[in-house]
Formats: sequence, structure tokens, C-alpha cells
Amino acid sequence: MGILFPIDRVRSEFPILHQQIYKRPLVYFDNAASTQKPVQVIDAIRKYYEVDNCNIHRGVHYLSVKATEAYEEARKEIREFINARNTHEIIFTKGTTESLNLVAASFGKRYISEGDEVITTIMEHHSNFVPWQQVCLEKGARLRIVGIDEKGALNPEELEGMINERTRLITLTHVSNVLGTINPVEEIIRMAHEHNVPVLIDGAQGISHLPVDVQAMDCDFYCFSGHKMYGPMGIGVLYGKEKYLEEMPPYQMGGEMIRDVYTDHTTFNDLPFKFEAGTPNVEGVAGLRAAVYYLKDLGMNAIAAYEKQLLDYATAMLAEIRGVKFFGTAASKASLISFLIGNVHPYDTGMIIDKMGIAVRTGHHCAMPLMDSLHIPGTVRASFSFYNTIEEIDLLATAIRKAKEILE
Amino acid sequence: MTIAEKEQEIIREFSLYDDWLDKYNLLVEMGKSLPLIDPQYMTDQYLISGCQSKVWLHARMEEGKVFYAADSDAIITKGIVSLLIRVFSGETPDTILESDVAFIDKIGLKEHLSPNRSNGLVSMIKQMRLYALAFKTKAAAQEKESSETKPEIPLETLVIDALKTVFDPEIPINIYDLGLIYDLRIDPVTHDVYVLMTLTTPNCPVAEDIPGQVETAVRSIEGIGQVRVELTFEPPWDKDRLSEAALLELGLL
Repeated sequence: MGILFPIDRVRSEFPILHQQIYKRPLVYFDNAASTQKPVQVIDAIRKYYEVDNCNIHRGVHYLSVKATEAYEEARKEIREFINARNTHEIIFTKGTTESLNLVAASFGKRYISEGDEVITTIMEHHSNFVPWQQVCLEKGARLRIVGIDEKGALNPEELEGMINERTRLITLTHVSNVLGTINPVEEIIRMAHEHNVPVLIDGAQGISHLPVDVQAMDCDFYCFSGHKMYGPMGIGVLYGKEKYLEEMPPYQMGGEMIRDVYTDHTTFNDLPFKFEAGTPNVEGVAGLRAAVYYLKDLGMNAIAAYEKQLLDYATAMLAEIRGVKFFGTAASKASLISFLIGNVHPYDTGMIIDKMGIAVRTGHHCAMPLMDSLHIPGTVRASFSFYNTIEEIDLLATAIRKAKEILE
Repeated sequence: MTIAEKEQEIIREFSLYDDWLDKYNLLVEMGKSLPLIDPQYMTDQYLISGCQSKVWLHARMEEGKVFYAADSDAIITKGIVSLLIRVFSGETPDTILESDVAFIDKIGLKEHLSPNRSNGLVSMIKQMRLYALAFKTKAAAQEKESSETKPEIPLETLVIDALKTVFDPEIPINIYDLGLIYDLRIDPVTHDVYVLMTLTTPNCPVAEDIPGQVETAVRSIEGIGQVRVELTFEPPWDKDRLSEAALLELGLL
């Protein structure tokens, strides 16, 4: 297998990977839940506190100016990374969940009323499902849900059939966190825009695996988290087209998001500050910026190509084990595998695999509507990153065989 | 065999194996000898929350001792619950409530079975203790009832005692001490009884059963007239309505 990817260098840059658990080398296959951080990110956070720490946008003194500059530079880096048109279309949030809740609350307040419709899919993570379900319940609107085929792929035509004059928004995930399916977002967005319906893309699982160009994609919102793209926890991004962000009311009230406050009313700040109430996570932004540098340096295309090798190899290896059933076999897939061994409960399999030093995720993966539609209690999910290796996948195959032997 | 002796026996059995894989094999084997729950109890009402896998648990009291039965959809969980049942089953409620379940730490599976929300060990132990507590409270109430001579007892006391035999399915305290009875009226002439009551939550899965149970309990009193039970959620029940006896039972006093 011709691996041109600098895997040895990359692995050496992730300190956490070099440890033993249960007297075995750690194999980390829970990357869809959270990725590990390279030294560059860890150093950026350390440097921030050692050299630059200060509250931003508020002071005239040296440190405050420096910290503010660093924070706003990071915003530019993010804009460039996803090729947004304007820097003020980048809103810093706590993570994808907050980004999605922000849009559900503010977009909902401004655009959704009784009798309107929002379209989503059965494969959404709860964080892109529950906020919309609740907004629809509150407004008396209808949440329409697109299903999947036996491979775990959406049918864009089914989705188009649901669009009508009451459709206010289509919200779907870029990549399914359970099935790995990469949705045909460009096609869906083109179709939606023909009907003048905006589209939100939950990019939590897309941003770390695929090159993202929000202008080429033409999505109206794109949400992602720092911690799933090798950056820190507690920081995330909401990209939104200016025209929507301008019209949407503020989400949280507080410092920084105001222009003038009077005893009887308040005027609000411009974008992006209108949506960034309170002291922001400056440390998180510093770390996220370092993560973006790191990914740009490796190249998203190189990452996607290497991860495809891992996925293909893992799929072939696991398919050889009798009784292993895959969930999610779409033609276009990101590097994760959801599976079950025969009728064995995913929790049992996960327990044994864990004791072999391999971190996999078991359960419903925050996608209970999807589990219900598949009639299973959950799956075992191994999700791969560019710091994983073919040898580690061999260990996974061995561990699954061992689990099968004990549990079946 | 006492609980301590049973715990020692389990610790000994696990000490024969060094490798965790062998320990798991043993656990899986033990799961196979689990006293299985009667399928009629494999409903949401008997489901223990807090486990990634499903666990159904039921208990019955026989001659002062508690006997548990359970099932799970996961094999390792079955092994864990079978260990607990082996230790607790056939013991009196008091012994169960006094036990500290220290053996889990000592069988070399501590880090594997440590209390976390995915294996629900804590929830299982809690549910088993709740059963023990419920049986204990019920037995005490029955004893009290039988020791009192009926002719001298005012009708109201008899009705209250009857109410105290009905238990909330989620909290092992009778509905009277829980404060679920909002109004109790007894006609001095006809001995007709009117009960206005609530439930701890409007979503209670057995909401329809309880008023029926109350009616049956009250009607069983000799010389009683018509019995009418009415359900209300206004005002909603809250913890302030717990009687002192109930607070004491829950360890809140």
C-alpha cells in the first residue's frame, strides 16, 4: 500500500497516543467523538496563557490589544480555511451544539411561524434534531424527516418532494456520525435554492475529514466544533451568510454584543459581535487557530486520501470476520465503521475491545431516532483519524475476533 | 451463608484468574445462571434506568426474605447482575440494606465495573436496595395493623391504614405517607368514603392502577359504605408533602 502520508511524523506530534492502557499500547478509534490534539495546539494554548492572556475588545493597554489582535486574526484564518466571503460571517461559539441552538433559536424567532415546515433527516445527531423539533413544537410548525436507504444514504429526490411553499429551512449533517455517509450536500443545496429555501449543514463530522468551501458549497449556515478537528474543547464556529445573520435577532444578551444600553432599550453591535455575548473563549480560539494551521499544513486532500486507505482496509478486514454486520455502506463515506457482531449487544463488544487497549464508542451515538429506524439498541463505532495506522486496524480485527469468541 | 461469606466466595472464585479476559469469561458464565425474571415483568416499569444495556429487575418477599430475578440484553451486564443477586437473594431486607457491596472492588474488576453510567452498577444496587426498603416498610405496616384490635379503632384510622398498604411504584413509601392523599371524607352514618388524591407525576405509568388499588384497599374494610376515589393534579405533588415517617424512611430526617 503506497502510503505517502507522513504518518511517523504525525504520530510523534500527538503525545497522548504514546501511552499504554491495560498494559497494551493505546489504540484510539473514537475520533468521531473527539480527536486528540497535536503539540502545536497544546503549545498554542500554553503560549496564550504564558504570554498573551487578557480580556479582549475592552482595554487600551498593550496585552488587551495583543490578545484582541490574535483573536481577530484567528477569525480571519477560519474564514480562509472554509473560504467564507466575509470575516464577520464567522461567529465563535462553544461548539457545534451551541451553533445549532443559536440558529434554531434566532432563525426560528425571525423566520418560522405556525404552519411552516423544517426539513431534516433521520440520520441527524440529537444536536441537529432536538433544537428543531423543539422550535417546531413551540411555533406549531412541522418537522419533516427524510429517511435513508439500506446503505444509509439519503435520497435527494425524496427530500425535494418534501419542499413546498411552507418550507423555511433544510437542516442536515455533512457526514453522519453513525453511518459515515457523506451526504450530497451540494446537490441538495442547489435543489433547495431553486425553491428559495436556505440550507444549514452540520459540519461537526465533515470539517475534519473533507475540504470545506462554504462558497462553493453555497450553504447558508455551516457549524463545527474545535475539538473534533484537533483543536480544544469548548470552542466552535457558526458560519452564516451575512444576509441571514444580519436579520436574525441576537441569541444571548450581555457584554460585547451591545452598542448602546439605555434604561428602557438597547441597540446591538454589528456582526460578528452581535452573536458573541460575554467574554469569549480566547484560549480556545488560540488553540483552534493552531489546529487550522496544522490541518492546512497536512492538506485536507492528503488527509482525505490517507483516511480513505484506512477505511477501505478496515472495511475489508472486518468483512472477513463472520457475523460482523455493517451499518452504513454508502458509496461516499468518511472514515468510520459502525458494526455489530451477530446478536451480541454493542455494550458487551465495546467492553471487551476496550480491554484490548482499543477505544471504540458503543451506544446510540446521540442518534436515537436513527437507532429506532434501524431497530437496534446501538452499534460499536470505530472512527479513524489520519494518525491511525493499518497496524492498529489489524489489532481491532483481532480484538473483534476475541470478543466474538467470548460473547457468542 | 451470610452476605460476607458469599462475597468471600466470589472473591475466591475470581482470584483463580489473573487475566482480565478469563475474569470476563467467568462473568459471562455466571450470567448464564442468573435467575431469570418472569417475562411478564420485562416491561418498562421494571427497567432500571442508567444502564447502556437494558436491565429488568423484580423481587418478591418470601418468609421475611427477598428473592430477586433479572434479565438483561447484554451478556456482561447479566454477569454483573447475577453476582449481585447471588449476594443479596435470600437475605432479609435489613441485611441487604446494611451491606456495603465491597466485593466488587476486590474481585479485580474494579476499574472495569467502576460506577459509571454505562454499566449502571450503581443503579442496579440502588434498585435492589429500594426493593428491600419497600418490603421492610410494608412488613412493618402489616405488623402494626395486625397487632391492633379492630373494634376500638375509629373508622378513619382503619381507612388510613388501608391507604398505607398502597405503594408508589417508584418510591418505596406508601401513598399516605407520601402525601398523595389530598382529602379524605367519611360519612359518619353511611360510612361512605371519598378520597381525593394525586400521583407523584402525571406521567406515572401505573397512574390508572393506583386509584383502583386504593378503592380495593378501602373497600376491604368491614362495614364500609360506598367508596369513591378521585384523581387530581391540582396542586401538583411535591416533596414537602412527605410525612415525617416517610422522611425518616428515606433517611431525610
